[in-house]
Amino acid sequence: MDSLITAAAHALAGGDPLGALNFVALRNDAPALALRGIAMAQLGDLTRAKTLLKSAARAFGAKEAMARARCAVAEAEIALISRNLTWPTKALERARITLEEHGDRANVAYARYLKARRLLLVGRLREAEEALVGLESISLAPALHTGCELVSAGIAIRRIRAKAARAALARADEAARMAAIPALMAEVEAVALVLDTPAARLITKGEARPLLLDEVEPLLASDALVVDACRFAVRCAGKVVPLETRPVLFALARALAEAWPADVSRETLLLRAFRARYADESHRARLRVEIGRLRKALRGMADVKATAAGFRLALNRTGEVVVLAPPVEEEHASVLALLADGESWSSTALALALGVSQRTVQRALETLVEEGKVQAVGQARARRWMTPPVPGFPTTLLLPAPISIG
Amino acid sequence: MKHSAAEIINEYGPFPSAEQVHGLTYDGKHVWFASGDRLNAIDPADGKAFDSIEVPAHAGTAFDGEHLFQIADSRIQKIDPKTGRVASTIPAPGNGGDSGLAWAEGSLWVGEYRERRIHQIDPETGAVLRTIQSNRFVTGVTWVDGELWHATWEDEKSDLRHIDPDTGETLERLDMPAGTGISGLESDGHDRFFCGGGNSGKVRVVRRPNHAQANRQ
Repeated sequence: MDSLITAAAHALAGGDPLGALNFVALRNDAPALALRGIAMAQLGDLTRAKTLLKSAARAFGAKEAMARARCAVAEAEIALISRNLTWPTKALERARITLEEHGDRANVAYARYLKARRLLLVGRLREAEEALVGLESISLAPALHTGCELVSAGIAIRRIRAKAARAALARADEAARMAAIPALMAEVEAVALVLDTPAARLITKGEARPLLLDEVEPLLASDALVVDACRFAVRCAGKVVPLETRPVLFALARALAEAWPADVSRETLLLRAFRARYADESHRARLRVEIGRLRKALRGMADVKATAAGFRLALNRTGEVVVLAPPVEEEHASVLALLADGESWSSTALALALGVSQRTVQRALETLVEEGKVQAVGQARARRWMTPPVPGFPTTLLLPAPISIG
Repeated sequence: MKHSAAEIINEYGPFPSAEQVHGLTYDGKHVWFASGDRLNAIDPADGKAFDSIEVPAHAGTAFDGEHLFQIADSRIQKIDPKTGRVASTIPAPGNGGDSGLAWAEGSLWVGEYRERRIHQIDPETGAVLRTIQSNRFVTGVTWVDGELWHATWEDEKSDLRHIDPDTGETLERLDMPAGTGISGLESDGHDRFFCGGGNSGKVRVVRRPNHAQANRQ
């Protein structure tokens, strides 16, 4: 490499894209094009960045496999920042293998970090963790180190491990200060803010109060029976009964848990579970069937007992019953939770990240637009969705993650 | 043209706090190498770090017996190794496309990477005295016993070339093994070449072919 290319690369690694452009703005050889592309990406002009990187990859000769692989890694990062989650992951994997063969350790680590970040976004936490394995033992450049720790923090947050998340965040903060890149420090602060914002509401004996993620962790580890309205499950002493696909059972469980230790009238239960405004004999029969199903689902955790007016939850042993609810209850809260990162998302990427169909996401977005909660920019395939960051909005507990704890 | 495989006799690094080696030189005792924002001195006897100078260092490095010369973006800086102070600055002939740097016979010799050529310049003014054309991307440049050697790095392959300074003709070539690029080159004045290993962050020592023996054959 020549002197100006090295100088520009150095400026980029230090988070100074304008300095880098000063060195190579007027050059059109392959390495200069690649660096201009990365500088543009850092400045936020992702479209221009993509074009520059593509022409750089073409300008490198067929035998310059390593340079082309680096372009592919840079393109993957741009795809990730623009929340284009359908970007071909195989290309990134191929690039990683090429870089590994050439002993370019720094960029191999970068490729693995990008892979982990994407997996975290789509909620594949175990794979994200695997992608990061071994990176902590290599000495990474401070900027990359910050990124890796932020991914670790993200994984811990979604796993509801507040302590691990705070530890990773502290390491990210330290690395970001070493890198002395303002954008990185801001990113660390944004994640810190998530940890200091109520992650949920705790409803017990008819009263509600906000909970931080730090408080959710011990709650789930306690012997309380937790009806988790963030992830649609009932948890008790390490056992989890997922009810995501059984909305009626979940509505009944939640109504009963909110009232515990008191009972809930049949009328209220019918209203909550079936939205029935009045109760006829067929509704009553259906309620009996559903209560029977709930009893079966909760076997070993709690019993559902009939009372004069309706039903109540009865614990097998001593302990509490609580409801863990999102801080703000919205019909399409999980979509809003993803958009809360302030990036512009395509509906395809939202569907991928939430693991639902694109049509479902589009319906949710239509409703949210009508309510003025999200904005659309662009048309047709280029259409993107965004929301102004809402303080205190539910985020992490609504994002996809494995349902089990521990 | 003589043609053989390069014999790597030693390898140092990668060094903490210096991810890459952009250029290097030898002051008779220590190897100085450029790593972006710093010049690092190591002892070639044991590979241990000895000293460092905070100075922009993006490509070739040279030593004239008293001062270090270091390419930084499109300039060549003359640095006092004792104080670390920049004594003077001249423009680089490749206007930033420069790679290797050597000092010999009162001149600086600068490799221009993608233009595949070597310039001989006046170390006081930076004026180009002469240009030698090569046929590969030039990285490091060095002189030893009146022989001009340069390193190449193109299409992910590197070699060391002994060229005729008048015609540019390649007289001898040493191929580096696959995966070992050369970003900077300096001779120790005898039978060893120090080679910067680019992004591997290593400094390698390559044996200079034995000429007395070669001439007898």
